[in-house]
Amino acid sequence: MAFREKMAWLTLLGFLLTYAYYFGVAGPAVEFGKNDMLDIVRSFGPVAALHGLITAAGSLAIFLAARRDASHKADERDRAIDRKATSVAYAVMMIGVLIVGGVAPFTEPAYKIVNGTFAVVVISEIVRDVMVIMGYRRGVHG
Amino acid sequence: MAKSIHNTIRTLRFHAGEMTQAELGQRVGVTRQTIAAIEQGKYSPSLETAFKIAEVFGVPLEQAFSWS
Repeated sequence: MAFREKMAWLTLLGFLLTYAYYFGVAGPAVEFGKNDMLDIVRSFGPVAALHGLITAAGSLAIFLAARRDASHKADERDRAIDRKATSVAYAVMMIGVLIVGGVAPFTEPAYKIVNGTFAVVVISEIVRDVMVIMGYRRGVHG
Repeated sequence: MAKSIHNTIRTLRFHAGEMTQAELGQRVGVTRQTIAAIEQGKYSPSLETAFKIAEVFGVPLEQAFSWS
């Protein structure tokens, strides 16, 4: 498995594990609290810190296990896969931003808009990682 | 039936003393995994890389790659 595919798996699993918890448990709990910024910081902060920890530890483990592959610069296939994945994720992010920034302020309370923004970032990154993995698995042309 | 790019890299490597994918990749500036992906038809290389691969084996481009 290519080094960058391993990294995409790590990022994907890190996002899925931590943010499934945030959006499934920690995020909705804020709705029943005081709904101020500190509530969101208190619920999002530890999840973001855990995500950073998982990513750092996983990156180190992958780097140590595949030190030679890690030293290779991205080649044209890596760049083609990254370009395609990023363009799809960008479209997803733009749609999300339009919904959260253009519609939600008129219909939703502030804490939902904040969580909606987090969700857009997380979903875009997940889409990007899935596209990268598919690019390495199924191939990419052009 | 849709046309696609085919290649004879595996055969060319065999005739070049069983050159490894890693060695070929190193000589043309891509990773071993990318050479494997090209051989399996999972990646169509850039024109530059295609020419470099043909050059490594000392064959014309159309002997290494074909469109059929």
